[in-house]
Amino acid sequence: MFALIGSVQRNLRFSSLRQLQTSSKHLSDALFVHRDSEIDNTNSHFEFTEENKKRIDSILKIYPDGHKRGAMIPLLDLAQRQHGWLPIAAMHEVASILNVPNMRVYEVATFYTMFNRRPMGKYHIQVCTCTPCWLRDSDSILKTVCDVTNCTVGSNSADNLFSISEVECLGACANAPMMQVNDDYYEDLTPEITTSIIKALMKGERPPPGPQNCNRYAAEPITGLTSLTSEVPDRSFRVRPDL
Amino acid sequence: MAKALGLDKLVNFFRSIKHNGGILGSLRTLYRVDELKFGDLIGEDKYGNKYYENNMYFYGRNRWVIYSPRVHMNYDASQVPAEWYGWLHYKTDLPPFKDPSRPKYKWMVDHTPNLSGTNKAYMPYSTVKTKIQAWQPKD
Amino acid sequence: MLRLPLFRAISRSNGRLTSAVCFHNSAANQQQPQQQPELIELFIDDKPVQVPPGTTVLKAAAMVGVEIPRFCYHERLAIAGNCRMCLVEIEKQVKPVAACAMPVMKGWRVKTNSALTRKAREGVMEFLLVNHPLDCPICDQGGECDLQDQSMAFGNDRSRFTDINFSGKRAVEDKDLGPLIKTVMTRCIHCTRCIRFASEVAGVDDLGTTGRGNEMQVGTYVEKLFMSEVSGNIIDLCPVGALTSKPYAFVARPWENHRTDSIDVHDAVGSNIVVSHRTGEVLRILPRVNEDVNEEWLADKARFSYDGLKRQRLITPMLKIDGKLQNVEWEDALVAAARALQDLPPNKCAAIAGCMADAEVLVAVKDLVNTLDSELLTTEQEFPKSGAGVDLRSNYLLNNKIANVEHADVILLIGTNPRFEAPLVNTRIRKGYLHREQNVAVIGPKLDLTYDHENLGQSPDIISQIKSGSHPFCEVLKNAKKPMIILGADVLTRKDGDKILAETQSLCKNIEKTVKTDADWKVFNILHTNASQVTALDVGYAASLEEVKKAKPSVLFLLGADENIKKEDFGESCIIYVGSHGDNGAQIADIVLPGAAYTEKTATYVNMEGRAQLTNAAITPPGMARPDWKIIRALSEIAGHRLPYDDLHELRDRIAEIAPHLVNYGEVEPSNFLKQVYELAKTTQGSFLPDPIDIKQKSLDQFFMTNAISRASPTMAKCVQAVQKQKQV
Repeated sequence: MFALIGSVQRNLRFSSLRQLQTSSKHLSDALFVHRDSEIDNTNSHFEFTEENKKRIDSILKIYPDGHKRGAMIPLLDLAQRQHGWLPIAAMHEVASILNVPNMRVYEVATFYTMFNRRPMGKYHIQVCTCTPCWLRDSDSILKTVCDVTNCTVGSNSADNLFSISEVECLGACANAPMMQVNDDYYEDLTPEITTSIIKALMKGERPPPGPQNCNRYAAEPITGLTSLTSEVPDRSFRVRPDL
Repeated sequence: MAKALGLDKLVNFFRSIKHNGGILGSLRTLYRVDELKFGDLIGEDKYGNKYYENNMYFYGRNRWVIYSPRVHMNYDASQVPAEWYGWLHYKTDLPPFKDPSRPKYKWMVDHTPNLSGTNKAYMPYSTVKTKIQAWQPKD
Repeated sequence: MLRLPLFRAISRSNGRLTSAVCFHNSAANQQQPQQQPELIELFIDDKPVQVPPGTTVLKAAAMVGVEIPRFCYHERLAIAGNCRMCLVEIEKQVKPVAACAMPVMKGWRVKTNSALTRKAREGVMEFLLVNHPLDCPICDQGGECDLQDQSMAFGNDRSRFTDINFSGKRAVEDKDLGPLIKTVMTRCIHCTRCIRFASEVAGVDDLGTTGRGNEMQVGTYVEKLFMSEVSGNIIDLCPVGALTSKPYAFVARPWENHRTDSIDVHDAVGSNIVVSHRTGEVLRILPRVNEDVNEEWLADKARFSYDGLKRQRLITPMLKIDGKLQNVEWEDALVAAARALQDLPPNKCAAIAGCMADAEVLVAVKDLVNTLDSELLTTEQEFPKSGAGVDLRSNYLLNNKIANVEHADVILLIGTNPRFEAPLVNTRIRKGYLHREQNVAVIGPKLDLTYDHENLGQSPDIISQIKSGSHPFCEVLKNAKKPMIILGADVLTRKDGDKILAETQSLCKNIEKTVKTDADWKVFNILHTNASQVTALDVGYAASLEEVKKAKPSVLFLLGADENIKKEDFGESCIIYVGSHGDNGAQIADIVLPGAAYTEKTATYVNMEGRAQLTNAAITPPGMARPDWKIIRALSEIAGHRLPYDDLHELRDRIAEIAPHLVNYGEVEPSNFLKQVYELAKTTQGSFLPDPIDIKQKSLDQFFMTNAISRASPTMAKCVQAVQKQKQV
């Protein structure tokens, strides 16, 4: 009977749809256990720079006594920004600063996908392939990025300049398709623009982030504003007198 | 006439006693095998077992073996060697010495009776680790 | 980590914590009976039940006998609420709620068997099974698996999972948690019980969840041993077969084992255990619930050293012939022993009790030695005989009882490491530390006790300083309401042990004077390490090792005594070893009489708080070995001093004559003579030695092999190796 269902399903070309009948496939590029390697092992040492130590002090000040472990994510982020990625030694350092067991830091660092536990290139390109971007042909953007950087999703380019990730919604659907390079959003992309952005990055420049394809300032309609078109009221604007 | 009076039974009885070597011999046989029979001695194997036949008895009881006196009461069916086995069990009517087709090779081993229950019985030694390991004193 | 550091900070600055802290553990609430809160009435399946506020739906349901299925919820652990199996419908609520985490409200009508509830359960169960391998036939949890049982009881009888090609079934890498715990992480259903146990009870924060969503896995992230002395309990906690016992892997199915209730003798806690056995072999040992002793936990040594019961056993009597021990028949051995006992002058027969001798053999040997006009009876671990000595039980008991350890607010540990000497006492202290802001201080070397504590130093002088009030720790003690001083039994074997004992007792006396404690709260406590010690002291093993050595006994009985005994000390003695395992004691013996181990005899053991408990014979003693007291009884007859008891009942009657509390099984006779103990302590003379207080078991690798059984156990040897390897890394 199951075989019958299966064949019917295949014949109806439902096979591309995932239904409850199967469990999801494991396609994650991240590993959720630690493997000792040359650059990332439990014996290595990590230390925050003097500058960052000052930052840590001010971050910790935000959190009241007894809740210092709330500073875990900011501290891990700081470590990642300092080191480019998050080695296990940095997690240990954060654990000792916050006085929590190492495991509690591992849990946080593995939970959040924005903590990169493998060495990353200088530019981390995250291409959104979520539904709105996909509808606006984000596949071509991803392909362009891969081709130009000569690198595949989930790995680094040979010159260690780029890392590519395919990510879920980055919250810029109005400007789809888009990609994120380190902290910058590049929106309203076409394959050509994408190529030029990456070429510029290769030269060490920083192309201006934001919408690329049109003269939009942000996420307003591409055909111009349809509301809020009136003049900005002057400072004397007040509530209606009868209220 | 004699049969009707049952005299033949008496005759057979006396024949049996004679066959078994008189009263003492008959008592000895009776003690060993619990029955008295008389018949023709067909042959004797090299272990001293004697094979008899008397077709007066019913089929199935007409061939029998009297084991060698050496084993006394410790006789056992497995003491009948293979060559006599066939005759005793009616597989053939020819006793071994009359049967030309019996193979005889140098490499044929001697017959061994079943040794179970004797001290020569085969006992495989255990290859399983003992459940309890005993302590051995250090010297 | 669990203990909120904020409260810790407050309590440090104010000296005392004033705010009442409500923790998830309901046991914490039982201590405040001042005002009985109003009961809330609700209805579980239309059955009315009245519960105090704060009770969860699941607990309320349990009160009326309604069992709600659960995976992640466990009475002794924090509530996680992540398995969703306990979803129930509550009338006038839109969604089903997790019963384990939801506190009850007045007038609720909970439906634990409605269509919605059943649908929710079946849905949860279906999702769990979609990601669970179908390997029950080769799974060691089979037969005692919560997932099996609950899918039978609460699951649907069909599934929408038709991925017969198994193209994408979830699979997780197995973790290496050491030689005791086998992991098959694909079977894990993420209930996080093991994680909560590790961080709450064991105090070793090595387990956690990594990753998220479908990729989440339970593990240690880095390759790491689960270094805990109570690690085996996560096997019991695991509702599925993700964590199973490595030594028990593929050994037996639970339904084919016989189970015999018994008592553990590897430490003096007297944990209640169940011995699972089949075909005359002990297959595994599990804990049995006893709220007063071990709750439902068990230390690893007690749980896993059972394979030592099959190795290095004495199975035939032995006699030294031509300087070598040789196997002989019982007659020869007993006759040889009886001959040695003939025509002995007074005080020429002695006995030393080992760490696992039971009350029966102790009494039989005492009677035998006494009929031979001798009083030379002692234990291998000495107890000071000055002051009250063994005359008053309060002098050598954990007077305050094990269950009360968690209620103390200040604990001073002197020369003891409860983490390894009595792991289940240590979990009590940790419980008190987590839920009751307990202050713990240690006099002794630096230790890792799994909770924060103050190390006051190693010198025994500190006891005097605290007594005189010149030590800063006095401030803490002064503010205490329920202080406890726990003195290690091992430290009393020092040359100045009597002085340490007396000084500690006078310190306790001072504390009792200044601190107004309840009448039945006992400050002075001794933590024993040997299961036989309290029994031996109870029946009057009152001599010291020195005395025995000095008397140069002609005949020396060793009742499984392996420690501290050298051949040189007893050069002229005929040494008769009665015990189950060949170890140091049997090696120096002239006559070896094979006895039974604790799983093979019905015997009485008294734990450190003075609770008499009974082991039951699960299997028969191997080979020619016999229960120890029967050997002594047989020997006495051949030697011409027949002991007047022929069976266990008569022997128990005799024990009851000596010490009635020893046959009052399961109960603790209250110890009431502390005042007299304190008075008698004043008679002790002497002074402290300058050497610092040391502890034998300081790290985990020293925990595993401490007695003849655990030394014979290959599993324990593997544990020691694994821990040492982990330390090197």
